[in-house]
Amino acid sequence: MRGEATVEAPVRAAPRSEPSARWRARDRAKWFFLLPGVVWILLFTIFPLLYAIRMSLHAYRFGIEGAFVGLGNFQRLLTDAVLHEDLVTTFQFVISSVAVEMVVGVSLALLFNREMRGRGLLRTLATLPLFATPVAIGYLGITLFYEEGGPVNAFIQTLGGSQVPWLSNPFWAKVAIILLDIWQWTPFVFLVSLAGLQGLSQDLTEASEVDGAAWWQSLVFIILPLMAPLLWLILLLRAIEAFKVFDTVVTLTAGGPGRATEVISRYTYITMRKFSDYGYAAAQGFLLLLIVAILFTLLWSRIKHNYGAPR
Amino acid sequence: MADRKQLELARALLAGRIDRRDFLKQASVLGISAAAADLFLRAAPGARAQDSGPVPPVVAEPCGDDCPFAGQTVTVLVNTGGGEKGSIEGPFHEVRAEFEAATGATLNIAAVPFEEHFPKLIEDMASGTGQYDTSVAGAWWLGDLVAADFLLAYDEYYNDTSGKFPEWDYDAVLTGPRSLLEYGGSKYMVPNDHDGQVLYYRSDLFADSEHQAAFAEAYNYDLAVPTTWDQFADIAEYFNGKDLNGDGEPDSGVVLHLKVGQQGMFHFMSFSAPFVIGPENPKLYWFNPDDMTPLVNSAGHVAALNKLIEITKFGPEAMFGWNLPEGWSYFLAGRAAMTFTWGDLGALAQETAERGGQSTVQGMTGAGPIPGTNGYFNVATNAMVETAEPNMVGNTTGGSWAGVISKFSKAPEATYFLLALMATKPKSVVYGYRGWDGVDPGRTFHFLPPNGDNSIEGYEGGGWAAADAEAYTTAYFENFGAELQFPYLRIPGTFEYWQAFDVRLSEAVTGQSSAEDALNAAVADFEGITDRLGRETQLEQYRTSLGL
Repeated sequence: MRGEATVEAPVRAAPRSEPSARWRARDRAKWFFLLPGVVWILLFTIFPLLYAIRMSLHAYRFGIEGAFVGLGNFQRLLTDAVLHEDLVTTFQFVISSVAVEMVVGVSLALLFNREMRGRGLLRTLATLPLFATPVAIGYLGITLFYEEGGPVNAFIQTLGGSQVPWLSNPFWAKVAIILLDIWQWTPFVFLVSLAGLQGLSQDLTEASEVDGAAWWQSLVFIILPLMAPLLWLILLLRAIEAFKVFDTVVTLTAGGPGRATEVISRYTYITMRKFSDYGYAAAQGFLLLLIVAILFTLLWSRIKHNYGAPR
Repeated sequence: MADRKQLELARALLAGRIDRRDFLKQASVLGISAAAADLFLRAAPGARAQDSGPVPPVVAEPCGDDCPFAGQTVTVLVNTGGGEKGSIEGPFHEVRAEFEAATGATLNIAAVPFEEHFPKLIEDMASGTGQYDTSVAGAWWLGDLVAADFLLAYDEYYNDTSGKFPEWDYDAVLTGPRSLLEYGGSKYMVPNDHDGQVLYYRSDLFADSEHQAAFAEAYNYDLAVPTTWDQFADIAEYFNGKDLNGDGEPDSGVVLHLKVGQQGMFHFMSFSAPFVIGPENPKLYWFNPDDMTPLVNSAGHVAALNKLIEITKFGPEAMFGWNLPEGWSYFLAGRAAMTFTWGDLGALAQETAERGGQSTVQGMTGAGPIPGTNGYFNVATNAMVETAEPNMVGNTTGGSWAGVISKFSKAPEATYFLLALMATKPKSVVYGYRGWDGVDPGRTFHFLPPNGDNSIEGYEGGGWAAADAEAYTTAYFENFGAELQFPYLRIPGTFEYWQAFDVRLSEAVTGQSSAEDALNAAVADFEGITDRLGRETQLEQYRTSLGL
C-alpha cells in the first residue's frame, strides 16, 4: 500500500500543481471580495461589542474610565428597582402596542385586499405615518394630545366626552405613547400583510367558497394558516423594534409623569448621557440585548416551524 | 474720503441694503465709534420693524486695524431658546456683530436642547477637545465642573485694568446671586441671568372689592398678598374655577410647570424652603454634614410636599405635563390668579401682542416674595419650631445661566471679552427689561431707589407698566436680600441628585406615590448616587460648600 502511494503521489501532485495557482488566485479574489464585509463586521460589530464588554466591567465618571469593577455593573441590574420598573413599563408598551398593531394592521390588509373604488389612494394614505420620523411624531403628539383644547380632546368633547389628561396622568400618558406607536407602525403591519395576502393563491379561497364556506371560515381555516409564517415574522420584527422605543417617549413625555412612561432604552440613555455612567449603561445594553435575543429565538423557532424548515 | 465712505455705509444700513452685522464689520474698518454706530443701528429700519422691546446699546468700540483677537474663534454652548429671539440664546445672536467688530474674532453659537447641554459640555471637557470655549451653564453644574478641574477662573481677567476687556462691576451683583458666581474663592461664572423664584399674582383681582368681600366671608380674613403657603392655598382655592379673564370659561387658582425632566424640581425647592430652613437651621436641607445621610425625607420636607400636592389641585391638571412656556402662557392669558416662578414671567407680562408677545396681564401682574410658613421642622434637632412672624426664606433656585470659560478653550481671553461685554451695565439693564431674552435681574442697577439706581422711567422706557415694575423689583430685591436663603446645592453629582429628586417629586404630585414614599425613594436614590461617587469625597465637598 505504501509503495502504491509513493508511486501515485507524483501522479496526484502533478494535476494539483496547476490548479493550485488558479486556486490561489481564486482565494485572493475571494478574500478581496470578502474583505470589506470582514472589516465592516470587525469594525462595527466585533469591536463595539468587545469595547462594550470592557466598558461594562469598569466604573466611569464623565466618560473617563475608572476602576475595574468586575461584574459589579451587572449586579446592579439585579438590585436596581428603577430599572425593574422601567422593564415592566417597556413590556406593557410592547405587548399593548404590538398586539393592537397586529390586529388592526391585518384587519386593514384584509379590508384592502379586494377591488374597491379609490383603493390605491386609500392604501397610500394608510401608509403615510410610516414615513414620518419618530421624533417628529413625538412632537406632533404634544400638539395632538394637548389637554387644554388640543385636537384630540376637542374631538372627544365635541362627542360629549370629558377632557382626557393625556400627558399629565400616568395611565393616560402610557396610552398616549401606545396610541402614537400604533398610529405609526400599524401601516407597516398592514403593508406587509397585504403583500402576503396578494401572494396567496385565489384558487383555495374560491374553492372554499364553492364548497359553501363562510368568509370567516375561509379566514380562520385557510387564509390565516397560510399567512402564519409571515405574521410571525411581522410580530418578530415589530416586537424587537418596539423594545427599542425611544424617540417618541423622549419627545412626548420625557418619561413622565414621574417615571410612568420611562422605558429601558431611555433609562440607558439617561444613565449614559446625563450621568456619564458608561459602565452601567453598557450593562443595561447587554440586558436589552439578552431580552431581544430570547424573544428572537422564541419567535424564530416558531417561524421555522411554520415554514417546516429543519431545526 | 473716509467721511464719504462712512456716509455711504450709513445710507446702506438705513436703506436696508446691508444688515446689522455687515454694518458693524465695515464700521470697524472705517473707524466709526461705538456711539455713532449705535445711533445708526437704532435708526435703522430693521430695529424699528422688530420692536420687540428695547435694544441694548453698542458698548465695545470697533477695533479697526488693530484687533486684539483677530483670527480667533469663540464657540458658545447654550440652551436652545428659539434662535435670535430665544431665551438666553438670543442675546448672543444680538451681540455677535458688535463682538466680532470689536475683537476681530468670530463667534459661533451652538444651541442644544436643555437635556443635552450638560452631557455635551462634560463630554467635550472630559475628552479635552475644547470644542466649546464657553457654556452658558446652570449654577448647579459648578460642583462637577470645578471639582473635575474643567473650568478657568477669570479673576485675573477681571482684575486686568489695562482696558483689554469691557469693564463691569462684580460688586453690583446682590449677595444671593453673587454667591453662585464663585466657587472655592475663585470667580467662574460671569454674571448674566439671575434666577430666583417669586410669587406672581393678579393685582387687579386682589384689588377687586367683590372678590375681597367674598373671600373675607369665606375665609374670615382679608384677601391680601399671601405671606404663608396656607394663605396661598386659600386664595388659590377661592379663585379656582372662576372666570378670571372674562372669556366665560372657568380658570385656575394657580398654575405651575411640572413636567418631569424640565426643572420642575426647582418649584419644590423654593416652596419647601420655609418648611425646613429657619433661624435655628439656616443651612441644612440636603444632607447631614456628618455622614452625608440625605435629609430630604424629614417631616418638614414631607409636610411641604403634601402642601404642594394640595395646592396643585387648584390648578389645571395639564400642568403636570407642562414645560415653562406652557405654564407661563397660561398665566399670561389671564387664566390663573397666582403662580410662583422666575423673573422671566414678570418681564413677559409686559410683552403684549403689540410687542410681539402674548401678555394680556400687563399692569395687572403683582409680585411678592415666596410665601413662608408659621413654623418649620429643624432637621438638626428633629423638632418643630413655631415662628411668631411668617418664616420667609429667599432663594436663588434655577440655573442663573451664566458663562463659564472652558479650561480647554483655545481663545480664553476672547471668550472672557464676550462674556464681560454682555455683563456690562448698559447691556444688562436692557436684558433685565425684556422677557424674551430670559435674562433676569439681580444687580443693583436693575432695582429702583433706594435699593438700586434704576428708575421707574427707565422701566417705563423699557415697556413696563409702572406698578408692575415697582412690585417686581421690590419682590426680587427682598428675595435676594432675605436674611435666610435656600441652600443651593453645588457639589459633584448635583445634576444626578436633582434629576432623581425631580422624578420622585413628579411621582408624588401625579398621585403615583404618597409624599412620604416619594421622598423616601429620593433618599434611596441619593444614597445610591453618593455611594457611587464616593461618600468621603462627597462629604468633604458638601462640608466645604457649607463652610464647615
